[in-house]
Amino acid sequence: MTSVAAISIAGLTKDFAIGLRGTRLRAVDRLSLRIGQGEVFGLMGPNGSGKSTTIKLILDLIPATAGQCLIFGVPHDQVAARAMVGYLPESPQLHRHLTGRELVRFHGGLGGLTGRRLASRVEEVISRVGLGQAADRRLDTYSKGMLQRAGLAQAIMHHPRLVILDEPAAGMDPAGSDDIRNLVLGLKAEGRTVVIVSHQLEQMEDVCDRMAILDRGRLVWEGSREDLIGADGRCTLEVDPLSADQLAELRRWLGERGKTFREIGSPRSRLAEIFRRQTMSAQTMQRSPE
Amino acid sequence: MTRAPFRPAIAGLIAHFTFVEAVRQRVPQVLLLGSAGLVLGIQGLREFNFGLSELKFIADLGFGAMVFFGSILAIILATQLFLGEIEERTAPTVLAKAVGRTEFVVGKFLGVAGVLALFSAAVTGLIAAMLYAREIALLRERPDLLVQGGPVRYADIAAVGFGHMLRFGVLAALSLLVASWARTKLHAVMTSFGLLVIGDLQSVAQEAYAGAGSLPMRVFMAVVALLVPDLQVFDLGDLAGTDGIPAHMVLRAAGYALCCIVAAGALAAFGFQRREL
Repeated sequence: MTSVAAISIAGLTKDFAIGLRGTRLRAVDRLSLRIGQGEVFGLMGPNGSGKSTTIKLILDLIPATAGQCLIFGVPHDQVAARAMVGYLPESPQLHRHLTGRELVRFHGGLGGLTGRRLASRVEEVISRVGLGQAADRRLDTYSKGMLQRAGLAQAIMHHPRLVILDEPAAGMDPAGSDDIRNLVLGLKAEGRTVVIVSHQLEQMEDVCDRMAILDRGRLVWEGSREDLIGADGRCTLEVDPLSADQLAELRRWLGERGKTFREIGSPRSRLAEIFRRQTMSAQTMQRSPE
Repeated sequence: MTRAPFRPAIAGLIAHFTFVEAVRQRVPQVLLLGSAGLVLGIQGLREFNFGLSELKFIADLGFGAMVFFGSILAIILATQLFLGEIEERTAPTVLAKAVGRTEFVVGKFLGVAGVLALFSAAVTGLIAAMLYAREIALLRERPDLLVQGGPVRYADIAAVGFGHMLRFGVLAALSLLVASWARTKLHAVMTSFGLLVIGDLQSVAQEAYAGAGSLPMRVFMAVVALLVPDLQVFDLGDLAGTDGIPAHMVLRAAGYALCCIVAAGALAAFGFQRREL
Protein backbone atom coordinates (compact mmCIF):
# COMPACT_ATOMS: atom_id res chain seq x y z
CA MET A 1 0.00 0.00 0.00
CA THR A 2 1.39 3.40 -0.94
CA SER A 3 0.96 5.90 1.88
CA VAL A 4 -0.09 9.45 1.14
CA ALA A 5 2.92 11.76 0.86
CA ALA A 6 3.37 14.43 3.48
CA ILE A 7 4.08 16.86 0.66
CA SER A 8 3.43 16.14 -2.98
CA ILE A 9 4.40 18.87 -5.43
CA ALA A 10 3.91 18.67 -9.18
CA GLY A 11 5.11 21.28 -11.66
CA LEU A 12 5.10 24.05 -9.08
CA THR A 13 6.07 27.33 -10.69
CA LYS A 14 6.28 30.86 -9.39
CA ASP A 15 6.92 33.96 -11.48
CA PHE A 16 7.35 37.36 -9.89
CA ALA A 17 6.65 40.55 -11.82
CA ILE A 18 9.60 42.91 -11.44
CA GLY A 19 9.62 46.66 -12.09
CA LEU A 20 7.11 48.87 -13.86
CA ARG A 21 7.24 46.83 -17.03
CA GLY A 22 6.33 43.72 -15.09
CA THR A 23 9.33 41.72 -16.27
CA ARG A 24 8.84 38.11 -15.21
CA LEU A 25 11.36 36.56 -12.87
CA ARG A 26 10.96 32.82 -12.38
CA ALA A 27 11.74 31.97 -8.77
CA VAL A 28 10.53 28.37 -8.82
CA ASP A 29 10.60 26.44 -12.06
CA ARG A 30 8.35 23.41 -12.57
CA LEU A 31 9.35 21.86 -9.28
CA SER A 32 8.15 18.34 -8.58
CA LEU A 33 8.90 16.71 -5.26
CA ARG A 34 7.52 14.01 -3.01
CA ILE A 35 8.28 13.99 0.69
CA GLY A 36 7.15 10.86 2.49
CA GLN A 37 5.49 10.71 5.89
CA GLY A 38 7.89 10.52 8.82
CA GLU A 39 10.88 11.68 6.78
CA VAL A 40 13.33 14.38 7.76
CA PHE A 41 13.86 16.15 4.47
CA GLY A 42 16.52 18.78 3.80
CA LEU A 43 16.04 21.50 1.22
CA MET A 44 19.32 23.11 0.24
CA GLY A 45 20.58 25.59 -2.28
CA PRO A 46 22.48 28.85 -2.60
CA ASN A 47 20.90 32.22 -1.85
CA GLY A 48 18.16 33.03 -4.32
CA SER A 49 17.74 29.42 -5.37
CA GLY A 50 14.03 29.48 -4.49
CA LYS A 51 14.04 27.54 -1.22
CA SER A 52 12.05 30.03 0.85
CA THR A 53 9.73 30.77 -2.07
CA THR A 54 9.01 27.05 -2.34
CA ILE A 55 8.13 26.92 1.34
CA LYS A 56 5.86 29.97 1.01
CA LEU A 57 4.14 28.33 -1.94
CA ILE A 58 3.60 25.15 0.05
CA LEU A 59 2.11 27.18 2.90
CA ASP A 60 -0.06 29.20 0.53
CA LEU A 61 1.51 32.43 1.70
CA ILE A 62 2.02 33.34 -1.94
CA PRO A 63 -0.07 32.11 -4.88
CA ALA A 64 1.58 29.78 -7.39
CA THR A 65 1.76 30.68 -11.07
CA ALA A 66 1.28 27.04 -12.02
CA GLY A 67 1.41 23.56 -10.59
CA GLN A 68 -0.17 21.89 -7.64
CA CYS A 69 0.74 20.99 -4.10
CA LEU A 70 -0.90 18.56 -1.71
CA ILE A 71 -0.25 18.28 2.01
CA PHE A 72 -1.19 14.81 3.25
CA GLY A 73 -3.41 14.60 0.19
CA VAL A 74 -5.23 17.87 0.88
CA PRO A 75 -4.79 20.82 -1.52
CA HIS A 76 -2.41 23.25 0.16
CA ASP A 77 -4.73 26.25 -0.26
CA GLN A 78 -7.27 24.74 2.09
CA VAL A 79 -7.21 25.66 5.75
CA ALA A 80 -7.50 21.96 6.62
CA ALA A 81 -4.10 21.36 5.00
CA ARG A 82 -2.40 24.04 7.06
CA ALA A 83 -3.95 22.69 10.25
CA MET A 84 -1.44 19.85 9.89
CA VAL A 85 1.57 22.13 9.46
CA GLY A 86 3.88 23.94 11.86
CA TYR A 87 6.17 26.57 10.39
CA LEU A 88 9.26 28.30 11.68
CA PRO A 89 10.19 31.13 9.29
CA GLU A 90 13.77 32.23 8.75
CA SER A 91 14.79 34.69 11.50
CA PRO A 92 11.28 34.60 12.94
CA GLN A 93 9.71 37.96 13.66
CA LEU A 94 7.26 37.37 16.46
CA HIS A 95 4.73 39.53 18.26
CA ARG A 96 7.27 41.37 20.38
CA HIS A 97 4.79 42.90 22.82
CA LEU A 98 3.65 39.47 23.97
CA THR A 99 5.51 37.30 26.44
CA GLY A 100 6.89 33.95 25.31
CA ARG A 101 4.10 32.15 27.17
CA GLU A 102 1.41 34.35 25.63
CA LEU A 103 2.81 33.76 22.17
CA VAL A 104 2.82 30.00 22.61
CA ARG A 105 -0.68 30.12 24.06
CA PHE A 106 -1.90 32.22 21.14
CA HIS A 107 -0.54 29.79 18.57
CA GLY A 108 -1.90 26.83 20.51
CA GLY A 109 -5.32 28.47 20.36
CA LEU A 110 -4.97 29.00 16.62
CA GLY A 111 -4.16 25.32 16.37
CA GLY A 112 -7.46 24.46 18.05
CA LEU A 113 -6.25 23.72 21.59
CA THR A 114 -8.37 24.98 24.45
CA GLY A 115 -8.73 24.74 28.23
CA ARG A 116 -6.57 22.28 30.16
CA ARG A 117 -5.12 20.70 27.03
CA LEU A 118 -3.86 24.09 25.97
CA ALA A 119 -2.47 24.94 29.42
CA SER A 120 -0.59 21.66 29.78
CA ARG A 121 0.70 21.80 26.20
CA VAL A 122 2.01 25.34 26.79
CA GLU A 123 4.10 24.15 29.72
CA GLU A 124 5.28 21.07 27.85
CA VAL A 125 6.42 23.02 24.79
CA ILE A 126 8.07 25.79 26.81
CA SER A 127 10.11 23.15 28.58
CA ARG A 128 10.86 21.23 25.38
CA VAL A 129 12.33 24.20 23.50
CA GLY A 130 14.19 25.45 26.56
CA LEU A 131 12.42 28.77 27.08
CA GLY A 132 12.21 28.15 30.83
CA GLN A 133 12.33 31.26 32.98
CA ALA A 134 12.28 33.55 29.94
CA ALA A 135 8.73 32.44 29.09
CA ASP A 136 7.21 35.24 31.14
CA ARG A 137 9.38 37.94 29.64
CA ARG A 138 8.25 39.97 26.67
CA LEU A 139 9.72 38.90 23.35
CA ASP A 140 11.29 42.31 22.74
CA THR A 141 13.75 41.45 25.52
CA TYR A 142 14.80 38.13 23.93
CA SER A 143 18.13 37.40 22.29
CA LYS A 144 18.17 36.05 18.74
CA GLY A 145 18.64 32.51 19.99
CA MET A 146 15.74 32.81 22.44
CA LEU A 147 13.52 34.20 19.69
CA GLN A 148 14.41 31.17 17.61
CA ARG A 149 13.33 28.92 20.48
CA ALA A 150 10.05 30.85 20.83
CA GLY A 151 9.58 30.49 17.07
CA LEU A 152 10.11 26.76 17.37
CA ALA A 153 7.62 26.58 20.22
CA GLN A 154 4.86 28.20 18.18
CA ALA A 155 5.66 25.89 15.27
CA ILE A 156 5.20 22.64 17.21
CA MET A 157 2.55 23.83 19.66
CA HIS A 158 -0.47 22.24 17.95
CA HIS A 159 1.08 18.77 17.35
CA PRO A 160 1.53 19.30 13.60
CA ARG A 161 2.09 16.23 11.44
CA LEU A 162 4.43 18.25 9.25
CA VAL A 163 6.97 20.72 10.65
CA ILE A 164 8.74 23.10 8.27
CA LEU A 165 11.83 24.77 9.68
CA ASP A 166 13.50 27.52 7.68
CA GLU A 167 17.10 27.94 8.90
CA PRO A 168 16.22 26.62 12.37
CA ALA A 169 19.72 26.97 13.82
CA ALA A 170 20.29 30.54 12.64
CA GLY A 171 21.43 32.68 15.55
CA MET A 172 21.91 29.67 17.83
CA ASP A 173 25.12 28.86 19.67
CA PRO A 174 26.47 25.29 19.28
CA ALA A 175 24.51 24.08 22.31
CA GLY A 176 21.38 25.60 20.80
CA SER A 177 22.14 23.89 17.49
CA ASP A 178 22.39 20.60 19.37
CA ASP A 179 19.01 21.29 20.95
CA ILE A 180 17.51 21.87 17.50
CA ARG A 181 19.06 18.66 16.25
CA ASN A 182 17.64 16.75 19.20
CA LEU A 183 14.26 18.37 18.72
CA VAL A 184 14.20 17.34 15.07
CA LEU A 185 15.19 13.79 15.97
CA GLY A 186 12.51 13.79 18.67
CA LEU A 187 9.89 14.90 16.14
CA LYS A 188 11.05 12.17 13.79
CA ALA A 189 10.78 9.60 16.58
CA GLU A 190 7.18 10.73 17.11
CA GLY A 191 6.54 9.96 13.46
CA ARG A 192 6.26 13.56 12.32
CA THR A 193 7.58 14.75 9.00
CA VAL A 194 10.18 17.49 9.18
CA VAL A 195 11.36 19.70 6.32
CA ILE A 196 14.50 21.69 7.04
CA VAL A 197 15.70 24.54 4.87
CA SER A 198 19.27 25.35 5.79
CA HIS A 199 22.66 26.54 4.66
CA GLN A 200 24.34 24.63 7.46
CA LEU A 201 25.07 21.56 5.42
CA GLU A 202 26.78 19.60 8.20
CA GLN A 203 23.58 19.77 10.22
CA MET A 204 21.57 18.51 7.27
CA GLU A 205 23.88 15.55 6.89
CA ASP A 206 23.38 14.68 10.54
CA VAL A 207 19.62 14.59 10.68
CA CYS A 208 18.13 14.37 7.20
CA ASP A 209 16.97 11.12 5.66
CA ARG A 210 16.69 12.66 2.24
CA MET A 211 17.79 15.93 0.72
CA ALA A 212 17.21 18.04 -2.35
CA ILE A 213 19.28 20.81 -3.85
CA LEU A 214 17.64 23.72 -5.65
CA ASP A 215 19.43 26.07 -7.99
CA ARG A 216 17.75 28.99 -9.74
CA GLY A 217 14.38 27.56 -8.90
CA ARG A 218 15.08 24.12 -10.31
CA LEU A 219 15.60 20.83 -8.59
CA VAL A 220 19.15 19.83 -9.45
CA TRP A 221 19.67 16.89 -7.10
CA GLU A 222 17.55 14.74 -4.85
CA GLY A 223 18.53 11.69 -2.89
CA SER A 224 19.11 9.99 0.42
CA ARG A 225 21.83 10.79 2.93
CA GLU A 226 23.71 7.71 1.82
CA ASP A 227 23.49 8.86 -1.81
CA LEU A 228 24.97 12.21 -0.88
CA ILE A 229 27.76 10.92 1.30
CA GLY A 230 28.81 8.30 -1.22
CA ALA A 231 28.32 10.60 -4.18
CA ASP A 232 31.96 11.69 -4.55
CA GLY A 233 33.47 8.33 -3.55
CA ARG A 234 35.41 9.77 -0.62
CA CYS A 235 35.48 8.85 3.03
CA THR A 236 36.70 10.58 6.18
CA LEU A 237 38.94 8.90 8.74
CA GLU A 238 39.24 10.55 12.14
CA VAL A 239 42.25 9.57 14.29
CA ASP A 240 44.21 10.84 17.29
CA PRO A 241 47.01 13.33 16.50
CA LEU A 242 49.75 11.85 14.29
CA SER A 243 53.47 12.58 14.34
CA ALA A 244 55.22 13.51 11.08
CA ASP A 245 56.64 9.98 10.81
CA GLN A 246 53.29 8.37 11.37
CA LEU A 247 51.72 10.65 8.80
CA ALA A 248 54.39 9.78 6.25
CA GLU A 249 53.84 6.10 6.97
CA LEU A 250 50.09 6.48 6.50
CA ARG A 251 50.60 8.24 3.16
CA ARG A 252 52.91 5.47 2.02
CA TRP A 253 50.50 2.79 3.15
CA LEU A 254 47.61 4.40 1.27
CA GLY A 255 49.76 4.98 -1.80
CA GLU A 256 50.69 1.31 -1.94
CA ARG A 257 46.99 0.50 -2.08
CA GLY A 258 46.20 2.99 -4.85
CA LYS A 259 44.45 5.50 -2.58
CA THR A 260 45.07 9.25 -2.61
CA PHE A 261 45.57 11.13 0.64
CA ARG A 262 43.58 14.33 -0.04
CA GLU A 263 43.41 16.44 3.07
CA ILE A 264 44.69 16.72 6.61
CA GLY A 265 43.34 19.10 9.24
CA SER A 266 41.26 19.40 12.37
CA PRO A 267 37.74 18.07 12.18
CA ARG A 268 35.26 20.84 11.37
CA SER A 269 33.28 20.22 14.52
CA ARG A 270 36.33 20.71 16.77
CA LEU A 271 35.65 24.35 17.55
CA ALA A 272 32.02 23.64 18.35
CA GLU A 273 33.09 20.83 20.68
CA ILE A 274 35.57 23.10 22.49
CA PHE A 275 32.88 25.75 22.78
CA ARG A 276 30.45 23.24 24.28
CA ARG A 277 33.01 21.84 26.68
CA GLN A 278 34.11 25.29 27.87
CA THR A 279 30.61 26.69 28.28
CA MET A 280 29.45 23.57 30.08
CA SER A 281 32.36 23.77 32.54
CA ALA A 282 31.64 27.48 33.07
CA GLN A 283 28.01 26.63 33.86
CA THR A 284 29.14 23.92 36.27
CA MET A 285 31.43 26.40 38.04
CA GLN A 286 28.58 28.89 38.32
CA ARG A 287 26.39 26.28 39.95
CA SER A 288 29.08 25.31 42.51
CA PRO A 289 30.91 28.48 43.60
CA GLU A 290 33.25 26.44 45.85
CA MET B 1 -6.96 31.48 -2.31
CA THR B 2 -8.10 29.81 0.89
CA ARG B 3 -11.45 28.12 1.06
CA ALA B 4 -12.87 27.69 4.54
CA PRO B 5 -15.91 28.70 6.54
CA PHE B 6 -15.47 31.75 8.74
CA ARG B 7 -14.79 30.75 12.37
CA PRO B 8 -15.65 33.45 14.92
CA ALA B 9 -13.53 31.72 17.61
CA ILE B 10 -10.34 32.15 15.56
CA ALA B 11 -11.20 35.78 14.76
CA GLY B 12 -11.93 36.31 18.45
CA LEU B 13 -8.59 34.83 19.46
CA ILE B 14 -6.73 37.07 17.01
CA ALA B 15 -8.77 40.03 18.29
CA HIS B 16 -7.88 39.22 21.89
CA PHE B 17 -4.14 39.05 21.27
CA THR B 18 -4.26 42.07 18.95
CA PHE B 19 -5.88 43.99 21.80
CA VAL B 20 -3.27 42.80 24.32
CA GLU B 21 -0.47 43.74 21.97
CA ALA B 22 -2.02 47.11 21.14
CA VAL B 23 -2.50 48.31 24.70
CA ARG B 24 1.18 47.54 25.41
CA GLN B 25 2.36 49.73 22.58
CA ARG B 26 3.49 53.28 23.12
CA VAL B 27 1.19 54.91 20.55
CA PRO B 28 -2.14 54.27 22.31
CA GLN B 29 -0.65 55.08 25.69
CA VAL B 30 0.79 58.38 24.49
CA LEU B 31 -2.39 59.37 22.64
CA LEU B 32 -4.59 58.48 25.62
CA LEU B 33 -2.34 60.50 27.90
CA GLY B 34 -2.30 63.37 25.42
CA SER B 35 -6.06 63.34 25.20
CA ALA B 36 -6.52 63.07 28.96
CA GLY B 37 -3.95 65.82 29.49
CA LEU B 38 -5.79 68.16 27.15
CA VAL B 39 -9.16 67.41 28.76
CA LEU B 40 -7.74 67.97 32.24
CA GLY B 41 -5.98 71.10 31.01
CA ILE B 42 -9.37 72.68 30.37
CA GLN B 43 -9.64 73.16 34.11
CA GLY B 44 -6.88 75.71 33.83
CA LEU B 45 -9.20 77.90 31.77
CA ARG B 46 -11.63 78.25 34.66
CA GLU B 47 -10.11 81.59 35.52
CA PHE B 48 -12.01 83.09 32.60
CA ASN B 49 -15.27 82.31 34.43
CA PHE B 50 -17.63 81.61 31.53
CA GLY B 51 -20.53 80.84 33.83
CA LEU B 52 -22.97 78.28 32.47
CA SER B 53 -21.49 78.27 28.98
CA GLU B 54 -18.31 76.96 30.58
CA LEU B 55 -19.90 73.51 30.72
CA LYS B 56 -20.52 73.54 26.98
CA PHE B 57 -16.98 74.82 26.51
CA ILE B 58 -15.56 71.92 28.56
CA ALA B 59 -17.62 69.41 26.60
CA ASP B 60 -16.72 70.90 23.20
CA LEU B 61 -13.03 71.18 23.92
CA GLY B 62 -12.91 67.76 25.57
CA PHE B 63 -14.62 66.04 22.67
CA GLY B 64 -12.48 68.04 20.24
CA ALA B 65 -9.39 66.58 21.91
CA MET B 66 -10.97 63.14 21.82
CA VAL B 67 -11.70 63.38 18.08
CA PHE B 68 -8.21 64.69 17.33
CA PHE B 69 -6.29 62.05 19.26
CA GLY B 70 -8.79 59.27 18.61
CA SER B 71 -8.66 59.77 14.84
CA ILE B 72 -4.86 59.58 14.89
CA LEU B 73 -5.08 56.49 17.10
CA ALA B 74 -7.58 54.74 14.80
CA ILE B 75 -5.46 55.27 11.70
CA ILE B 76 -2.07 54.53 13.22
CA LEU B 77 -3.20 51.52 15.23
CA ALA B 78 -5.08 49.87 12.38
CA THR B 79 -2.15 50.41 10.04
CA GLN B 80 0.45 49.29 12.57
CA LEU B 81 -1.38 46.19 13.70
CA PHE B 82 -2.28 45.05 10.20
CA LEU B 83 0.28 46.28 7.71
CA GLY B 84 2.94 46.25 10.42
CA GLU B 85 2.40 42.50 10.76
CA ILE B 86 3.09 42.06 7.08
CA GLU B 87 6.05 44.46 6.96
CA GLU B 88 7.61 43.03 10.10
CA ARG B 89 6.86 39.49 8.93
CA THR B 90 4.85 38.35 11.93
CA ALA B 91 1.81 37.55 9.77
CA PRO B 92 3.28 34.44 8.09
CA THR B 93 3.56 32.55 11.39
CA VAL B 94 -0.16 33.14 11.96
CA LEU B 95 -1.36 32.61 8.40
CA ALA B 96 0.73 29.46 7.95
CA LYS B 97 -1.63 27.88 10.47
CA ALA B 98 -5.26 26.97 10.00
CA VAL B 99 -6.28 30.61 9.85
CA GLY B 100 -8.37 32.06 7.03
CA ARG B 101 -7.41 35.46 5.77
CA THR B 102 -10.90 36.80 6.42
CA GLU B 103 -10.60 35.62 10.02
CA PHE B 104 -7.27 37.44 10.23
CA VAL B 105 -8.71 40.72 8.91
CA VAL B 106 -11.79 40.53 11.12
CA GLY B 107 -9.69 39.64 14.17
CA LYS B 108 -7.36 42.54 13.56
CA PHE B 109 -10.27 44.94 13.19
CA LEU B 110 -11.98 43.74 16.35
CA GLY B 111 -8.75 44.03 18.33
CA VAL B 112 -8.24 47.60 17.15
CA ALA B 113 -11.93 48.38 17.75
CA GLY B 114 -11.55 47.13 21.32
CA VAL B 115 -8.72 49.58 21.97
CA LEU B 116 -10.71 52.41 20.37
CA ALA B 117 -13.75 51.56 22.50
CA LEU B 118 -11.57 51.62 25.61
CA PHE B 119 -10.06 54.94 24.56
CA SER B 120 -13.50 56.43 23.86
CA ALA B 121 -14.93 55.19 27.14
CA ALA B 122 -11.96 56.50 29.13
CA VAL B 123 -11.97 59.98 27.58
CA THR B 124 -15.77 60.28 27.66
CA GLY B 125 -15.72 59.22 31.30
CA LEU B 126 -13.08 61.83 32.04
CA ILE B 127 -15.07 64.55 30.31
CA ALA B 128 -18.21 63.50 32.22
CA ALA B 129 -16.30 63.56 35.51
CA MET B 130 -14.97 67.04 34.80
CA LEU B 131 -18.42 68.27 33.83
CA TYR B 132 -19.88 66.77 36.99
CA ALA B 133 -17.29 68.43 39.21
CA ARG B 134 -17.88 71.80 37.57
CA GLU B 135 -21.63 71.32 37.58
CA ILE B 136 -21.62 70.78 41.35
CA ALA B 137 -19.63 73.95 41.81
CA LEU B 138 -21.99 75.89 39.59
CA LEU B 139 -25.08 74.53 41.32
CA ARG B 140 -23.71 75.78 44.59
CA GLU B 141 -23.60 79.24 43.09
CA ARG B 142 -26.98 78.94 41.27
CA PRO B 143 -29.27 76.37 42.93
CA ASP B 144 -32.17 77.43 40.63
CA LEU B 145 -30.57 75.42 37.79
CA LEU B 146 -31.33 72.24 39.70
CA VAL B 147 -35.07 72.79 39.21
CA GLN B 148 -34.57 72.29 35.46
CA GLY B 149 -32.86 68.95 36.07
CA GLY B 150 -29.33 70.31 36.11
CA PRO B 151 -27.40 71.95 33.28
CA VAL B 152 -25.62 68.77 32.03
CA ARG B 153 -27.42 65.91 30.27
CA TYR B 154 -25.16 62.96 30.83
CA ALA B 155 -27.09 60.75 28.43
CA ASP B 156 -26.13 63.22 25.70
CA ILE B 157 -22.50 63.14 26.81
CA ALA B 158 -22.55 59.36 26.53
CA ALA B 159 -24.25 59.59 23.13
CA VAL B 160 -21.65 62.03 21.81
CA GLY B 161 -18.85 59.79 23.10
CA PHE B 162 -20.55 56.80 21.46
CA GLY B 163 -20.81 58.73 18.18
CA HIS B 164 -17.10 59.46 18.22
CA MET B 165 -16.37 55.84 18.99
CA LEU B 166 -18.35 54.88 15.88
CA ARG B 167 -16.35 57.41 13.91
CA PHE B 168 -13.09 55.83 15.10
CA GLY B 169 -14.39 52.41 14.17
CA VAL B 170 -15.20 53.54 10.64
CA LEU B 171 -11.80 55.19 10.35
CA ALA B 172 -10.07 52.01 11.53
CA ALA B 173 -11.99 49.96 8.96
CA LEU B 174 -11.02 52.42 6.21
CA SER B 175 -7.38 52.27 7.33
CA LEU B 176 -7.54 48.49 7.27
CA LEU B 177 -8.91 48.63 3.73
CA VAL B 178 -6.08 50.93 2.66
CA ALA B 179 -3.51 48.77 4.48
CA SER B 180 -4.78 45.64 2.71
CA TRP B 181 -3.25 46.87 -0.57
CA ALA B 182 -0.72 49.53 0.50
CA ARG B 183 2.95 48.55 0.33
CA THR B 184 4.30 50.70 3.16
CA LYS B 185 2.97 51.98 6.45
CA LEU B 186 3.72 55.58 5.45
CA HIS B 187 1.68 55.15 2.28
CA ALA B 188 -1.21 53.64 4.21
CA VAL B 189 -1.17 56.31 6.94
CA MET B 190 -1.03 59.21 4.46
CA THR B 191 -3.87 57.78 2.37
CA SER B 192 -5.96 57.16 5.47
CA PHE B 193 -5.46 60.73 6.66
CA GLY B 194 -6.52 61.87 3.19
CA LEU B 195 -9.74 59.87 3.57
CA LEU B 196 -10.23 61.39 7.03
CA VAL B 197 -10.07 64.92 5.58
CA ILE B 198 -12.41 64.03 2.71
CA GLY B 199 -14.81 62.33 5.10
CA ASP B 200 -14.85 65.33 7.43
CA LEU B 201 -15.31 67.93 4.70
CA GLN B 202 -17.71 65.92 2.61
CA SER B 203 -20.96 67.18 4.09
CA VAL B 204 -19.79 70.80 3.77
CA ALA B 205 -18.88 70.24 0.13
CA GLN B 206 -22.16 68.44 -0.54
CA GLU B 207 -24.09 71.40 0.80
CA ALA B 208 -22.03 73.87 -1.20
CA TYR B 209 -22.37 72.04 -4.50
CA ALA B 210 -25.84 70.58 -4.09
CA GLY B 211 -27.66 73.54 -5.58
CA ALA B 212 -25.05 75.72 -7.21
CA GLY B 213 -22.54 73.20 -8.60
CA SER B 214 -22.33 72.10 -12.24
CA LEU B 215 -23.57 68.65 -13.25
CA PRO B 216 -20.07 67.10 -13.45
CA MET B 217 -19.27 68.47 -10.01
CA ARG B 218 -22.49 67.07 -8.57
CA VAL B 219 -21.78 63.69 -10.15
CA PHE B 220 -18.25 63.83 -8.72
CA MET B 221 -19.58 64.65 -5.26
CA ALA B 222 -22.07 61.81 -5.51
CA VAL B 223 -19.26 59.40 -6.34
CA VAL B 224 -17.18 60.71 -3.44
CA ALA B 225 -20.17 60.29 -1.13
CA LEU B 226 -20.47 56.71 -2.31
CA LEU B 227 -16.80 55.89 -1.78
CA VAL B 228 -15.94 57.82 1.39
CA PRO B 229 -18.17 57.82 4.47
CA ASP B 230 -19.49 61.13 5.74
CA LEU B 231 -17.79 61.38 9.12
CA GLN B 232 -19.91 64.34 10.22
CA VAL B 233 -22.78 61.90 10.70
CA PHE B 234 -21.05 60.77 13.89
CA ASP B 235 -20.85 64.24 15.42
CA LEU B 236 -24.01 63.78 17.46
CA GLY B 237 -23.37 66.86 19.62
CA ASP B 238 -24.64 69.02 16.75
CA LEU B 239 -28.02 67.27 16.93
CA ALA B 240 -28.74 68.10 20.58
CA GLY B 241 -32.06 69.94 20.82
CA THR B 242 -34.01 71.00 23.87
CA ASP B 243 -34.89 67.35 24.53
CA GLY B 244 -31.38 66.12 24.02
CA ILE B 245 -30.02 63.94 21.23
CA PRO B 246 -32.84 61.92 19.62
CA ALA B 247 -32.38 58.18 20.09
CA HIS B 248 -33.20 57.48 16.46
CA MET B 249 -30.29 59.69 15.37
CA VAL B 250 -27.94 57.62 17.53
CA LEU B 251 -29.32 54.44 16.00
CA ARG B 252 -29.03 55.92 12.53
CA ALA B 253 -25.37 56.77 13.15
CA ALA B 254 -24.76 53.26 14.51
CA GLY B 255 -26.43 51.70 11.47
CA TYR B 256 -24.45 53.88 9.10
CA ALA B 257 -21.20 52.98 10.92
CA LEU B 258 -22.03 49.29 10.75
CA CYS B 259 -22.67 49.50 6.99
CA CYS B 260 -19.40 51.39 6.43
CA ILE B 261 -17.41 48.97 8.59
CA VAL B 262 -18.88 45.87 6.94
CA ALA B 263 -18.31 47.29 3.45
CA ALA B 264 -14.72 48.40 4.17
CA GLY B 265 -13.96 45.17 6.04
CA ALA B 266 -15.34 43.00 3.23
CA LEU B 267 -13.27 44.89 0.65
CA ALA B 268 -10.18 44.63 2.88
CA ALA B 269 -10.68 40.87 3.32
CA PHE B 270 -11.27 40.43 -0.42
CA GLY B 271 -8.16 42.42 -1.31
CA PHE B 272 -6.07 40.55 1.23
CA GLN B 273 -6.96 37.09 -0.07
CA ARG B 274 -4.28 37.03 -2.75
CA ARG B 275 -1.75 39.29 -1.15
CA GLU B 276 1.76 37.84 -1.18
CA LEU B 277 3.31 37.56 2.26
